[in-house]
Amino acid sequence: MTTEASEVVFVAEKANTFRYVPIHLAIFITLMLIWEMANRWNLVDPLLFPRPTDIVGGMYSIFIAKGGIWPHLAATFGKAMGGMVIGSAIGMALAIAAALIPMFRDYLKPYIIIVEAMPRIAVGPIFIAALGFGYASAVALAALVCFFAPFVNTMTGLMQVDEETEELFRSMRASKLQIFFKLMMPNAMPLITAGLKLAVAGAFAGALVSEFIQARNGLGVLMRDYIRTLNMEFSFATLLSITIFGFLLFRTMEAINYRIIYWQSETLMYKRSRRLAVKWEPVMAAAAINRPVAVAAGGVA
Amino acid sequence: MSDSNLESVTTAPAQASSTSDIVIEANALTKAFSEEVIAIQGASFQIKEGAFISLVGPSGCGKSTLLRLVSGLIDMTSGSIKVRGQEVIKPRTDIGMMFQKPVLLDWRTSVENVLLPSEINGSVTDDDRRKAIEVLHLVGLKDFEFHFPRQLSGGMQQRVALARLLQTGADILLLDEPFGALDEFTRERLNIELMRIVDDTPTTSLFVTHNIAEAIFLADEVMVMTPRPGRLARIVEVPFERPRSLELQLTPEFNEIESEVRGILASYL
Repeated sequence: MTTEASEVVFVAEKANTFRYVPIHLAIFITLMLIWEMANRWNLVDPLLFPRPTDIVGGMYSIFIAKGGIWPHLAATFGKAMGGMVIGSAIGMALAIAAALIPMFRDYLKPYIIIVEAMPRIAVGPIFIAALGFGYASAVALAALVCFFAPFVNTMTGLMQVDEETEELFRSMRASKLQIFFKLMMPNAMPLITAGLKLAVAGAFAGALVSEFIQARNGLGVLMRDYIRTLNMEFSFATLLSITIFGFLLFRTMEAINYRIIYWQSETLMYKRSRRLAVKWEPVMAAAAINRPVAVAAGGVA
Repeated sequence: MSDSNLESVTTAPAQASSTSDIVIEANALTKAFSEEVIAIQGASFQIKEGAFISLVGPSGCGKSTLLRLVSGLIDMTSGSIKVRGQEVIKPRTDIGMMFQKPVLLDWRTSVENVLLPSEINGSVTDDDRRKAIEVLHLVGLKDFEFHFPRQLSGGMQQRVALARLLQTGADILLLDEPFGALDEFTRERLNIELMRIVDDTPTTSLFVTHNIAEAIFLADEVMVMTPRPGRLARIVEVPFERPRSLELQLTPEFNEIESEVRGILASYL
């Protein structure tokens, strides 16, 4: 039988990422050259703004020659992840409760507004006073900074369920639990994952700020100490490391999200279809040999 | 509500109205959303087992509300609805619904969408899986079993929704302008296929539309509703033989019924 099928084309999701590489490279090298020259010709204070070549040397030193950055990197990573997990879990749990229970939502609202309005990193010193210089205070601040995006996004996502889809579920006599897990949660996933992506960046920033204020170890501590001793090559090298590390964290989260919301990617939909088709082969065969077309109401065999 | 507002009409001929024949029975059905907004006022009707009933009326006359009342999705203000002799208080397993939008789950392939009612009912058996494939083939979606909704055209999405409805095993179908959002050609084609499917199976259907020709073409009887507050104006018999073909719409008999329905609707404007 013919159908009004539109040709289904699987578009390769490779953008022309690499087309502009030469231009990007040219711009970057020019900027670095200007910086390098400004330093050599004393247009900027060479003490405060080290040459790019010196920063590269600093990178080599802290990562390879001395390797001093690794334990700090591990410490900051641990704090950021701890904060991320705790903050997102609390944010999502509150969001689920708020989405499902209107009364809870109403009473929660003023506190959410306060937390939203407050510059959350300002709580850092209080956390440190209460929890000490160790991991606990940094994790707490990271959690506080990152909790908001998963909260708002999860709540918004859960509440944006289409009315007719919910009616469909109810007409099939679905339980509240089934509506939650089979409809509301997957439907909210694109927004939830977007919230988690922001949360990663927030948790990382929270951990760093806590280290800047006071801590025993971490990238923030390392950078602060280098700056105190006016070791600017190493300070900039640490800053560059923080940037690269933050970027990697963000990208990792993006890659995870991409897999979670597979139905927004042509490539992943295609792969999943293929896998499903293989898995269903026996059923397809059974349906094919199974009499003419039986079916429908009450199963007229 | 005074009694003079009540319209009482019966779709079943007097001799056939033994209670076992009647699948849906509404009595003085009224639904008011507020003091001013009365969606349905005093609707009474009976629908016989196996009948295909179209419900036509202008937009906002409460057609969809009536369907939701029958399905048990919303509560009535007064009156009663019985399905197979039982008062409707919540959705039933023998009633299935289809909406103007396909309302498919984007994260599920066609066959996974069709399996949804089986999943909601409990565990999914091999029979359920085989049936899901069969209903997809029945609605013309062979080779599209493992596509995602986003990869399908509007018409094909609505076919998946139809397959999902058939998967429920319900034998009372409540169809709320199921093809109303599709283009004319696709709609005609799907109407024909829907008719073929319900003709082949013992189903009772209540089909809401504001397309008069479509309503007549599909139905055994057309229930005509008045604008707000929605009341049943009249029931028009459609005596044509089945199976029907599209050419039926060109016959003078068809046009006669069409102008009769139009006349009833016009008299309330």
